[in-house]
Amino acid sequence: MKRRKFDVAAVPAKTAGAVDDRFQVATPLRKLLNKVFPDHWSFLLGEIALFSFVVLLLTGVFLTFFFEPAMTEVVYNGSYAPLRGTPMSAAYASSLDISFDVRGGLIMRQMHHWSALLFMASIVVHMLRVFFTGAFRKPRETNWIIGSLLFWVGFLAGFTGYSLPDDGLSGTGLRIASAIMLSIPVIGSWLTSSIFGGEFPGTIIISRFYIAHVLLIPGLLLALIGVHLGLVFKQKHTQWPGPGRTNENVVGERMFPRYALKQGGFFMVVFGVIALMGGLFQINPIWYFGPYEAWVVSAASQPDWYVMFLDGSTRLMPAWEVHIPIGDGYVIPPLFWPTVVLPGILVGISLAYPFLEARHLKDRKHHNLLQRPRDVPARTAAGAMALAFFVVLTLSGANDVIADKFQISLNAMTWAGRIGLLIAPPVAYYVTYRLCLGLQQHDREVLAHGVETGIIRRLPDGRFVEVHQPLASGDGHAELDYVGWVVPKKMNRLGALGPAIRGFFYPIEKPAEAPVSPGHPPVEPRTEREEIGSGEGRR
Amino acid sequence: MSTHTEHQAPQGRQPLDVLDPRVSRFDIVQEGARRDDIEIVHYEPQVVPGSKAERRMTRTVASFFLLTGLAATAFLIIYIWWPWQWHPGRGGDKYYTPLLGLTLGVALLGIGFGILTWGKKLLPKEVSIQGRHDGPGTAEDRKITGETMLYLAEEMGVRRRPLLGVSLVAGLLPVGAVAAAPLVGGLIKQPHENNQMFTTGFAPADGHKVRLVREDGRPIRPADISAGGQLTVFPGISHGVSNRHADSPTLLIHLRESDAVASREANARVGHEDYMWGNYAAFSKICTHAGCPASLYEQQTNRLLCPCHQSQFLITDNARPVFGPASRRLPQLPIEVDEEGFFVAKSDYTETVGPDFWERP
Amino acid sequence: MTSDNDRRRGLLARLRGRPAARSRGRRRLGAALRLIAALTLAGGAYTVFAPGVQAQENPPLTSAAAEGKALFDVSCVTCHGRNAQGVEGRGPSLIGVGAASVDFQVSTGRMPMARQEAQAMRKPPVFTADQVDQLAQYIQELGGGPEVPEGDLRRGADLATGGELFRINCSQCHAFGGGGGALSSGKFAPSLRPASDRQIYAAMLSGPQNMPVFGDNQITPEQKADIIAYIQETLKHDQDQGGFNLGRYGPSTEGLAIFLVGLVALVFASLWIAGKS
Repeated sequence: MKRRKFDVAAVPAKTAGAVDDRFQVATPLRKLLNKVFPDHWSFLLGEIALFSFVVLLLTGVFLTFFFEPAMTEVVYNGSYAPLRGTPMSAAYASSLDISFDVRGGLIMRQMHHWSALLFMASIVVHMLRVFFTGAFRKPRETNWIIGSLLFWVGFLAGFTGYSLPDDGLSGTGLRIASAIMLSIPVIGSWLTSSIFGGEFPGTIIISRFYIAHVLLIPGLLLALIGVHLGLVFKQKHTQWPGPGRTNENVVGERMFPRYALKQGGFFMVVFGVIALMGGLFQINPIWYFGPYEAWVVSAASQPDWYVMFLDGSTRLMPAWEVHIPIGDGYVIPPLFWPTVVLPGILVGISLAYPFLEARHLKDRKHHNLLQRPRDVPARTAAGAMALAFFVVLTLSGANDVIADKFQISLNAMTWAGRIGLLIAPPVAYYVTYRLCLGLQQHDREVLAHGVETGIIRRLPDGRFVEVHQPLASGDGHAELDYVGWVVPKKMNRLGALGPAIRGFFYPIEKPAEAPVSPGHPPVEPRTEREEIGSGEGRR
Repeated sequence: MSTHTEHQAPQGRQPLDVLDPRVSRFDIVQEGARRDDIEIVHYEPQVVPGSKAERRMTRTVASFFLLTGLAATAFLIIYIWWPWQWHPGRGGDKYYTPLLGLTLGVALLGIGFGILTWGKKLLPKEVSIQGRHDGPGTAEDRKITGETMLYLAEEMGVRRRPLLGVSLVAGLLPVGAVAAAPLVGGLIKQPHENNQMFTTGFAPADGHKVRLVREDGRPIRPADISAGGQLTVFPGISHGVSNRHADSPTLLIHLRESDAVASREANARVGHEDYMWGNYAAFSKICTHAGCPASLYEQQTNRLLCPCHQSQFLITDNARPVFGPASRRLPQLPIEVDEEGFFVAKSDYTETVGPDFWERP
Repeated sequence: MTSDNDRRRGLLARLRGRPAARSRGRRRLGAALRLIAALTLAGGAYTVFAPGVQAQENPPLTSAAAEGKALFDVSCVTCHGRNAQGVEGRGPSLIGVGAASVDFQVSTGRMPMARQEAQAMRKPPVFTADQVDQLAQYIQELGGGPEVPEGDLRRGADLATGGELFRINCSQCHAFGGGGGALSSGKFAPSLRPASDRQIYAAMLSGPQNMPVFGDNQITPEQKADIIAYIQETLKHDQDQGGFNLGRYGPSTEGLAIFLVGLVALVFASLWIAGKS
């Protein structure tokens, strides 16, 4: 009997054929591999959030193997001597064990915490990018809403997560959270006692937070992220305006071969940065905080940075208590406004913004081209105003640390925050608006007169003028229309002077290519097409 | 080094016969792209095969990967053999986590930058243009889909058979409630059980006044606190020094003579004439704003600061909030000394302790 | 005999605690001598411990205290007045503050104060350790008050107890990491990092500035030793386990770090990835 020859080289093709026989994947897969993605550094900010979420899942799963979500009282007997013999909850004891008695546990805990901070930070920065470039406009309002929700769900994930170790600092935060829930009119006390299973702190809150933190919230996050990405995929990414780029096309790189490689590499870079931070920078050293005890607190008690703006608003709030003289009298405490009403308003505004703007501008068109922030001064200024508001609140959330380390009076810091909260946003609005107009103006000047060359010429009558290099061909000052593209402002961008310095962030264009900015590939449709030029290209 | 071919206009072109063995792989790729409405308008190798530049890039990428291998090996060695268990002082164990982070980070960055350099520097640059096709469906399609959905409603005939609709709603509503009931009903908890929001551990039990005790349970004599001193005290009951009585921690302050005089006058103004014992006053440690322990006692200014939101209370004015977001005085605990010479609470707090809520009278 | 004995059983007999068994004459002589000795001792003790009143006259100062007085009259008398009685509007009376207070204030350089401010700042001390001791001795002999004991101030200390006490009594102002914190209107609780055992002990005893007093009646010397050991060994000497501690300011510097280090690094990376060079 003749043995059939086994051809190794044919295995992939045969397997692929077998798969396609059954699942008919060839066509959809081709479409996927061919999908074109526009390339710009700012499009990678959302990826940071996605990748840090993956790291969160990986490290989080590790932590669940060792964490014990229980408030049973135990006496610590681990290797950290300064706490040995201290009564504490099982949750805190197991968090200490992760830090001191699980080999490599501390770096996992720290990576988990740093990636949480990075997740939230990149969400915010990504959101700012989307806002300032107008990427939220029709047809992408849904994704804007999902993104905003992702911030708040991430906020909850972070809060439930850092409450889990049940240490002195997080317990203080939990105490404040319970006070916030208590402050809600009518239902406050019912809500609090339902969530805590009785009076604060009760014995069940850690286990409830645990299941929320490891199952419910991550599930919600996964679902939201899935839809978010799916919509990006379906609706295709926005792109910057530029030569050859229209509202009806996407100019960029196909997913295969290059784009996917870059994404994979970037994931590793994000992972690596988190690992470096997790090892080199200590975060949340719970062993100094001690177990949570209702009578223990530390100076400079703050929440993580993404909660700090609410802490700041609480600190700045004047002591205005609303008293309702009906029956025995009812109270709306001052805590209610900055911690329940304010976030409510913020959520409302952020969710509604795309619709408000479209309504205001009577804009019903599809927008696949981004806008430069300077071209929409009103929106950019409004964004700067919101940012100023957020920054003042966040700084106020750390105002005791600032007061202490820079030797400013604490009371003065509070007043500075209160006044700053009223003054900084309008100032930010005005300054940003003027800045946008100024930048636009300069772009128009360059388009009209050309680029400053730095060459000073003396005219026969003794005057000195700077020579401008016109952008338009033809004689002298043929005016170009401003169309929202990047306008070259330096000679080396034009190629007239050759590369001044070898660019890293601003790579130098080759002289022959069209004037475009970094990250915007020159895409003048050419008359000829190029193909692979390597020797093995044709087989 | 790139070769150029005549550009064929996408419209009206002949589809390429991809099964033809003479067609190059790139042509097939390009044909595939065209079928997805993608035009590869620019495809240019970055390095000449066999050139110095290519060899240099190859070496760079390779060294990134080798760096990863090195760092990963170092990680494993450190993970296994480095002394990792906590010891007091400045031993080698303090470098365990940083070294793990460093080696892991370098290993991951090595892979990352290796792949990135490979993709960025060695693969050809390309510019492709894909059509978006994000306009609405054709009027015909919309019509067909809409009609299909309406057809379902029509076939079900709810309009003709209204009883079905009514009974469906009548049936579904309770089922929805059934889904929610165990969750809501299980979680919901009456907040005023045993009047817990208005009482603390200092409430006299069976007519016995509750002693003030320290964190280790010892009762307190007046001589235990110097003038200008303060002590955190707890109700001397079972589990009084625990989170089960999170509202009970109290600050017992021994005021200086002149401050005590001012304090007594202020107490009298709010009807707390006999709440102090001698120069000793006791105020709740739980802030009336958000429940943090307001315990930063400044013994010269007699202010009590809460570290969470910087509310400041003036002890000599019956703990009136003088700065920050708190709107209510810290409740005062009436105290006296029993026949054995230890501090006791005359009664429970006469105001509600802890953060404010709706039904606080 | 019994009654005679009882009659004569005066102060000294009681001090001796048992009936005398020697001859009457020797007993009388011994008694007289002891009486003189006891009176001298009592008088001496009175001059040492009696507050204020005696200070008006010229109390017999020990030589160290005399040196201290000389220093006092040169450096401190402007604000604290002659014989440390205090000057209205400038400086408080130091009668009764004790050596502990001098120890803390002078050895940390807070005194002499350069000018009146919200709170005296730690500075390089003006006086040497010996001079501090002399000043402390002077104030102690002048008005009495708490004193820091000599010897090892953290002998037999228990870190866990120290940590527990630190979190209850100290961390609200000096923070979990001992880095200090803000108080109202420009006042602050200083960082514990530069503090020596003796200074911490003295601060607890004397309650400098706005710090509450933690006398030996409230926190026993053994507990003080525990606290000092926790501060010095765990918070200061023990190195942070998880890498660079970012100043131990808590989430505020962690938030700063994620933006300034993490996010900046990744934005640079994405600039490079999407750049075209």
